Amino acid sequence: MKMANETAPIIRRNRPGTKNKDWCNWEDESFEEMDSTLAVQQFIQQAIRKDFTNVEEILNPPEGQDEGVWKYEHLRQFCMELNGLAVKLQVECNPETCTQMTATEQWIFLCAAHKTPKECPAIDYTRHTLDGAACLLNSNKYFPSRVSIKDSSVAKLGSVCRRVYRIFSHAYFHHRPLFDTYENETYLCRRFTQFVTKYNLMSKDNLIVPIMEDQQTLEGESEA
Amino acid sequence: MIEDGPGSQHGGQLGPGSGGLGMVTKSQQDDGIKQRPQYSMPGILHFLQTEWARFEMERSQWEVERAELQARIAFLQGERKGQENLKQDLVRRIKMLEYALKQERGKYHKLKYGTDLNPEDLKPPTFDKENKDDHIDGEISLSTSSGTGTATWRQGRQLLRQYLQEIGYTDTIIDVRSARVRSLLGLQTQSGDSDADISQSVLVNGDQPNKRDNQGKRAGLKKIGNLANDNALIDTENAVMTTFDFLNSGNVVEDEEDLSDDNEDGIAADDEAEERLERASMKLKGDNEGLTGLDETDADTEEALAEFHFLESEMGGSSEKHESSSGEDEEWVVDQRHISELKEQYKKERKGKKTRPTRHALQAMLASLGGEDDGFTAGVGDGQSLASSGEAREDDIPSGGQISYARKPMMGLQDDDENLDGGLVLGELAGLTVNNEADPVNYDISAPKEGYRKTWSAKYTLRSHFDGVRALAFHPVEPVLLTASEDHTLKLWNLQKTVPAKKAASLDVEPVYTFRAHVGPVLSLAMSPSGEQCYSGGMDTTIRCWNIPKSDIDPYDSFDPNVLSGTLEAHTDAVWGLSIHSSKNQLLSCSGDGTVRLWSPGIKSPLLNTFTVDSEEGVPTSVDFVRCDPNQIVASYTSSNTYIFDMETGAQVLMLETKINSDASGSNQINRVISHPTLPISITAHEDRHIRFFDNNTGKIIHSMVAHLDSVTSLAIDPNGLYLLSGSHDCSIRLWNLDSKTCVQEITSHRKKFEESIHDVAFHPQKPYIASAGADALAKVFV
Ligand SMILES: [Zn+2]
Ligand SMILES: [Zn+2]
Repeated sequence: MKMANETAPIIRRNRPGTKNKDWCNWEDESFEEMDSTLAVQQFIQQAIRKDFTNVEEILNPPEGQDEGVWKYEHLRQFCMELNGLAVKLQVECNPETCTQMTATEQWIFLCAAHKTPKECPAIDYTRHTLDGAACLLNSNKYFPSRVSIKDSSVAKLGSVCRRVYRIFSHAYFHHRPLFDTYENETYLCRRFTQFVTKYNLMSKDNLIVPIMEDQQTLEGESEA
Repeated sequence: MIEDGPGSQHGGQLGPGSGGLGMVTKSQQDDGIKQRPQYSMPGILHFLQTEWARFEMERSQWEVERAELQARIAFLQGERKGQENLKQDLVRRIKMLEYALKQERGKYHKLKYGTDLNPEDLKPPTFDKENKDDHIDGEISLSTSSGTGTATWRQGRQLLRQYLQEIGYTDTIIDVRSARVRSLLGLQTQSGDSDADISQSVLVNGDQPNKRDNQGKRAGLKKIGNLANDNALIDTENAVMTTFDFLNSGNVVEDEEDLSDDNEDGIAADDEAEERLERASMKLKGDNEGLTGLDETDADTEEALAEFHFLESEMGGSSEKHESSSGEDEEWVVDQRHISELKEQYKKERKGKKTRPTRHALQAMLASLGGEDDGFTAGVGDGQSLASSGEAREDDIPSGGQISYARKPMMGLQDDDENLDGGLVLGELAGLTVNNEADPVNYDISAPKEGYRKTWSAKYTLRSHFDGVRALAFHPVEPVLLTASEDHTLKLWNLQKTVPAKKAASLDVEPVYTFRAHVGPVLSLAMSPSGEQCYSGGMDTTIRCWNIPKSDIDPYDSFDPNVLSGTLEAHTDAVWGLSIHSSKNQLLSCSGDGTVRLWSPGIKSPLLNTFTVDSEEGVPTSVDFVRCDPNQIVASYTSSNTYIFDMETGAQVLMLETKINSDASGSNQINRVISHPTLPISITAHEDRHIRFFDNNTGKIIHSMVAHLDSVTSLAIDPNGLYLLSGSHDCSIRLWNLDSKTCVQEITSHRKKFEESIHDVAFHPQKPYIASAGADALAKVFV
């Protein structure tokens, strides 16, 4: 391809026509060199592309990184990647069979996206929660900037985490093969669990998908 | 020289001598009419109208620029005065110390030798005339000298304030700063605070003389003549203190908000019953009890819910705040951190000013303002988008050097900070772009004030995607559009459903529907002529066919699997381009697999034809129907070649001479090809910053122009074929007059992610909307 012809400066672009194998297939850029306002997002996505199984590394912020922004950008990335799980659930998670958002038998989750909370079917809960999270995380009122975030807005991230986590838990307890396929492709639930634990965004009791055991064995020798 | 009113500038513009680059003067235009009598009356009228609009636009731009420069001069003057005062104070201090030293020496001398030193040497230092009487005591002379300096200091400060107000700062910051400056000068800190305390208590008691006494006591002897100055000083200190007070109360309001937020969240966090129903208990209890249980949780949840609904529900709250903050901008209900950020920003700004090359550009503009007409047009060429019209004419003749010199800095700057950089960018941008969309604060300054204006300005910001927006398309009739993003989704937006924003400059829109089916980024998008279906191509190699939900749908309606009406599968790599026929039910796609395909969605075997080229042509990057020939399509390739194919046979009809007319060095692929709606012309957008026009009959080049400062990524043409819209990774979109091939307007629209900025642009087929899609996950609509 012509775009391989670039010599001196690397221009990091996915131009029209780029083949899938060449998507973002460029040399890593160090965080210091990223001079855009979206540097944190770039940095996170770069780490994921490099090795999505290396959860530890992906969650390791660059030196001096503002923690609020770091958490915020990670949560954006989680919600974005959860679209992948939602796409899979849309095929399998039927409103007739999964009439309520449940994980274990103990709780029914009400969907918070409506004026009065509704007992939405699991698939609707999933979609509504992701749509609501997209609105909240892009709200000009609470997150007008992606380079500095008010503490009061950072405080909102916890509740978003709690809600989107239920998508993992529903998939795990009710669509296990689907969950496993997705998890093997993305390591997303592992990353999410470690993320909320590291930054204390959810209480441990709520992390009901038993993925941490796996994680603990993984922590020592980050396997591919 | 700047005082030359807009009238004279205007005159200069209209004057015969000012034709210059890319500007057609009246005489030239008359010539045109004589030479080309085929021009029709409406055509001429149209031309005159567009010319007039352009002149109007330029005029308002110059007015804005003039105000800007005046403010800058005022600022610099103020700064100079401040420096002078500082210098004076320092000199005074040195003299004071010298005097004290001499006295000490005198004492020492007297003790040692029993005689006085030469009394000449002990004469206290003299400063300014006004200060003569204060020399008895060093302390006094210091404090009063600050009083005497006050007049000039205040004047400078006033100018500074004026400047800062124009760029969006208000008194609070200035006062905070000035308090700091004064404390640095050693004039303020302790005395300032006590002063203010006193004066405030005095104000409460209404006991004016008492204050004077206190003042007098504290400062020792006072000269009556200094009273006025003192008053002034105290006044300003009062102002400082009241603004501090105001800040405090602002903090309280903010804290309250935080508190309530916390409560909201606290409930949510503590009581996990929020959104949860204990199934077991429900089963055990009777219906009624179950219902009451529901009610209870409802109460909790409702509060928790406000989080997702706060946008609506908290609007009331924020307007209340408005009132309580006594007419001040809500912006000022901020915490100290924000203020220190602003201060940082301000410092940065000042630092930046010293190094930024555009200062020369500004000076050049200043100089040319005073110069004759030639200089004036040069100035225009230097700073404004019109320069590109010059380029557009003399293609490749490197007036491009000039333009990039003038503009480069603004792109570097853009990345500085998300919402605060606009103020400092504007100084440069005012001369460079019609408006800097990136910063709403600037609106008051940069928006032309005329009632009639043909300039586009940002109206809607579409936030909801999590990653770059790759494509967008308008509904054929409604104020509705679709966006496709790297975040795997498409979103439907109704421009009539806006979120009320605190600043009127730009409205936020929330999506009414999110389309999920693609696995991976969505790269291309096409809307059917009826507006009922749309098609999206993604990295997952599929083309999805969607039934578009009604634009007044409840965003949180239940999932309807029938929204996805079908999937077109045949490509084996990312689908990068889609184009839809305006009347036939036909869709074109191009893919990283090297093929262009023609589809008829909805029929049993939808794939009608596949178009291929030799493998050395690389991969198709963009494809379009040839609008004035029902049997042809045009496709561009990474090799920078462009082919016209026969739709029926799939054979190449013609090769447009895109490659031999492009920059041969390195990567110069075509990013977009579009067909003129009525004429046999194809327009290509190139990685080498050019837009080129080709004749579909001969394949020859018609026109070529350096259109942007970086690769041109996208093109859109208005339904009448009069205007062309282009988007580029230089962060801007540009509107072009297709007759004259001149740039009518440039708008800085998006920020960069890696080296990408703008992925797509679009015209509404009927309504006066244009839109841009950015790598910054935003889409913007301009009216
Ligand atoms: Zn389910
Ligand atoms: Zn719901």
